[in-house]
Amino acid sequence: MTLILLTAIFALAPPGEVRAYDTPSDGGEAITIEWQLSQDDAVLDGYEIYRSEDGVNFERIGLRGPGRQYFEDVTQDGKSYVYKIAAVSKTTKIFSQPSGEAISSPQWIDRNKLNILFAIFIFGGFIMYFMYHARKGKEFFIRKIAGLQAVEDAVGRATEMGKPTLYILGLGYVEEVATIASLNILGEVAKKTAQYNTKLIVPNADPIVYVVAQEIVKESYTKIGRPDAYDPDSVFFLAREQMAYAAGITGIMTREKPATNFLIGYFAAESLVLAETGASTGAIQIAGTDALAQLPFFITACDYTLIGEELYAASAYISKQPLLLGAIKGEDWGKVVIATTLFIASIIGLLTKFPILDLFE
Amino acid sequence: MKFIDRLTKIDRRIIYAILALVVILPLVFPSALKVKPMKPVEKLYEAVDNIPEDKALLLDCSYAPQIKAEVEPMAIAVLRHAFGKRKKVLVLALYVQMLGLAQKALTQVTEEFNSKAQTNIDSIIYGRDYVFLGWTPPPLIPMLGMGESITDVYPADYYGNQTDTLELMQYIKNYNNIGILVCLSGSAIPKAWVMYAQNRFGLAVGVGCTAVSGADFYAYYQTGQFSGLMVGMKGAAEYEELVEENLEIKEKRMASEAMLPMTYAHFIIIFFIVIGNIGYFIQRRRK
Amino acid sequence: MKKKFPLLLVFVFGILGIIPFLIPHPIVQHSDEYIRNDILRILAAFALVLALGSLLKVHADKIKRKKVNWQYSWVLILAFIVSSIIGLFGGVAGTGLLPTSFGSFNFNIQTLYENIIIPLASSMFALLAFYMASASYRAFRARSSEATLLLVAAFVVMIGFLPVASSISSKLPAFAQWVLNVPNVAGQRGVLFGIALGAVATSLKIILGIERAWLGGGD
Repeated sequence: MTLILLTAIFALAPPGEVRAYDTPSDGGEAITIEWQLSQDDAVLDGYEIYRSEDGVNFERIGLRGPGRQYFEDVTQDGKSYVYKIAAVSKTTKIFSQPSGEAISSPQWIDRNKLNILFAIFIFGGFIMYFMYHARKGKEFFIRKIAGLQAVEDAVGRATEMGKPTLYILGLGYVEEVATIASLNILGEVAKKTAQYNTKLIVPNADPIVYVVAQEIVKESYTKIGRPDAYDPDSVFFLAREQMAYAAGITGIMTREKPATNFLIGYFAAESLVLAETGASTGAIQIAGTDALAQLPFFITACDYTLIGEELYAASAYISKQPLLLGAIKGEDWGKVVIATTLFIASIIGLLTKFPILDLFE
Repeated sequence: MKFIDRLTKIDRRIIYAILALVVILPLVFPSALKVKPMKPVEKLYEAVDNIPEDKALLLDCSYAPQIKAEVEPMAIAVLRHAFGKRKKVLVLALYVQMLGLAQKALTQVTEEFNSKAQTNIDSIIYGRDYVFLGWTPPPLIPMLGMGESITDVYPADYYGNQTDTLELMQYIKNYNNIGILVCLSGSAIPKAWVMYAQNRFGLAVGVGCTAVSGADFYAYYQTGQFSGLMVGMKGAAEYEELVEENLEIKEKRMASEAMLPMTYAHFIIIFFIVIGNIGYFIQRRRK
Repeated sequence: MKKKFPLLLVFVFGILGIIPFLIPHPIVQHSDEYIRNDILRILAAFALVLALGSLLKVHADKIKRKKVNWQYSWVLILAFIVSSIIGLFGGVAGTGLLPTSFGSFNFNIQTLYENIIIPLASSMFALLAFYMASASYRAFRARSSEATLLLVAAFVVMIGFLPVASSISSKLPAFAQWVLNVPNVAGQRGVLFGIALGAVATSLKIILGIERAWLGGGD
C-alpha cells in the first residue's frame, strides 16, 4: 500500500509529445498546444502550461483541468515560442520535454467556412441559372399562396368600408431578412392603397426601419402617379420597447378600427396580443413571419398566414416579375438538393457502418 | 335554436372574466397540488443530490424579471435541496439586472434554514457554505475563465469581499471542483454553457427554463448534454415535490400552489373549445 | 442616377458584409468592426432623431387638430419630456448633473424602468393567457380533417402537460412529449430549411439589385 502511494507521489509520468502550432483559421495572436496525457492522468489535478521565448526561461501561463489541449491567445505574431507542459498533482509536478518552436500569424481565409462558401456558390448558381432563363423569356409556375392572393381584396375591402389599412412591420431591425421581406411587401401594398386611395397606417418599432419604410411608401405613391395622396405622417415611429409598441398598436386598432391588418416581419411574444386585438375589431388579417414560435399564434388568430419562406417569396408573387420568379425556382432546386442529400445520408447511416455524419462536421 | 348559435359566439369578455376568476381564486386561497415528478426533473434532482462532499453546486440565476414567476420557484427549490443536503453552493448571474433576483432567492432560503438552526453547524453561513459571486461582464468571460480559476474571474464577490480569503474558495478552485452547474434562464444561455464550459472543460450542466423555451431544450437533454431539465412552472413543482418528499422540508411551495390555477385555466380553455365545437357541429348538421 | 447609386451602395456593402465571415485576418475584421460599430451607430443616431421627431409631430398634430382622443397625446408628450430630462440630466442611475433623489427616493431612469416599464410589460405579457383562451376558442373548430388533427394534437399536449395527466392515463404525458419531440420538431426543421434558403436567396436578390421593391418597385 505504502509502496503504491509512494509511486503515485514521487514518480508521476510526464505528459508526452507536446506539439505547439499556430491556431488555424484565426486572426492571429493565438497558438494551440496539444499533448499526450500522462500515464498517471487519473490521479492528476491537471496540467500547467509553461511558455518560453528563448527556450531556457519558462513562465507559467495557464492551468488546464483534465484534457490534452490548450489555446493560448496572447502571443505576439511573428515571434517564436516554445512550450512545456507540467503534470500536476497535490504534491508534485513533473515537466514534459519542450515542444518545437511555434509562431502565430493571422490567416487570410477561414478554412472551416469553405464548405459554407461552396454551398452558397452551388445555391447561388441555381438562382442565377433560373434567372438567366427567366430573362430569356421562360415562364415559371408559382403555386397559389392564399395569403398573397388576398392582398388585393383586403385593400379593396378597406376602400369599400372607408376605413384605413394598418401595416405592422414588427420588432425586427433593418438587417433582418424578415424585415427586408416585409419592406418589400409594404412597397406593393402601398401601391395598392395609392391606387384605391385608401388611408395607410405604418407604425414602426425601429428608427432605421421607420426611415426606410417612409421612403418606400413615398416611392410607391410616386410610382403610381399619386404623390399628392401620400401623407408623410402615415408612416411614423411608435416605440422601441416591445410591449409599449404592442400597446400603441392595439390602441390604434381599437380607435381607428382598420378594415385590414398586415402583420408582417419579425415578431416575439407580442404577436398574439396584436393578432387577437385585430381579430376583435373585425379586421381581415394577413400575417407573415419567420419566427417559428409565433407562427401558431398567427395561424389561430389571423385569416391568412405566410409561413417562413412564403414571406420571402411574397414580393415576387405580388409583382409577378419574371426575374424574381426565376429566383424562387432556384431556391426550390436548392431544397431538392438538401432533401436528397438528407435522404441518401439517412439511408447510408441506417444501413451501413460508413461514418456518414463525419462528412458534415 | 338561439342557444346553439350562442355557443359558437360566446363574447370574449365572458371568457376573460371566467378565466380571470379561475386563476385568481386559487391564488387567493392557495393550496399546493401534488405532482408526479417526471424523468428529466428526477435526473436533475439526482445530479444535485450526488454532488460529492469536496465539490460544489454552481447556480446560475440568469432569469429576467418578466419570467420571475416561472423560474424563481426553481431557484428556491434547488437552493433548499442543496442547503438541506449540506452541499456547498456558488451563486452567480450573467447579467447585472438579474443580480437582485438571485440575491432575493438566496436571502429567502438562507433565512428559512437559519431561523430553525440550533447550532453553528446547522446554520448556513456565508463563505463557509455558500458564496454569491455576483456578476462580471461579458458572459463569455466567466463561462471560459472559471475553467481555470474562479477567483481570477471574480476577485471580489457580490458584497465586495475578496474571494480568495473565503473559506469555501480555498478548495473550490475551478470546474474540477464543481459537481454540476444548474442554469436557470429563459433564453439561449444554457446552450452557451454547453458550448463553452461543457465542450471545453467537461462541466456537467443542468437546466431550469420557461415552458416556452422548453421545446428548444429537450433535444439537449436527450443527447445527455443536459444532465437534467425542469421546464416551466410544472417542472418547478416537480422539483419542490422531490425536495419535500426526500428531505422533509416543509416550506411554502410557490410552483405547486400555481399548479391549481394553471390546471383550472387549461380546463377552462379546453371547456370553451369543446363548447365551441359542439355548437359548430349542431349548426352544421342543421344545414 | 437616382436608382443606380443606391443599388451600387447596396452591392458594395452587401459584399463587404460577406467578406469578414470568410476572412479572419485582423485588417478585414477591424474594418468590419469600424463599419458596424462606428458608421452604423452614427446613422442610427440620426435615424433616432428623425424617429422621435416623427412621434412628436404626429401627436402635436393630433392635439392641434383635436382629432379623436387627442387628450392622450398630452400624456405621451409629457411623459416624453419628463423621461428625457431625467435621462439627459439625471443619468441612468442618478449620476448625472441634476439631483435625482429626495432622501431615500430616487427618480432616475433605473427607477422609472423598474417601477413603470417592468410592471407594465409584465401585465401585457400576462394578458397573453386571456388572448390564448379567446383565440383558441374561436379558431380550434373541427372544420376540416387538418383542423381536426390540429385540435386533437392541441388537446393531447394541453392535457398531457397538466399535473393531473398521469392520473388520466399513465401513457399520456409521454405521448404529449412525443408529439412535441417528433412531429413538431420535424415540421419546424422543414420550415427552417426553407427559411435558411429563402434568406440566402433574398439577400442575393437584393445585393445583385434584382429585388427593387424597396426602391418603390421594379424596372
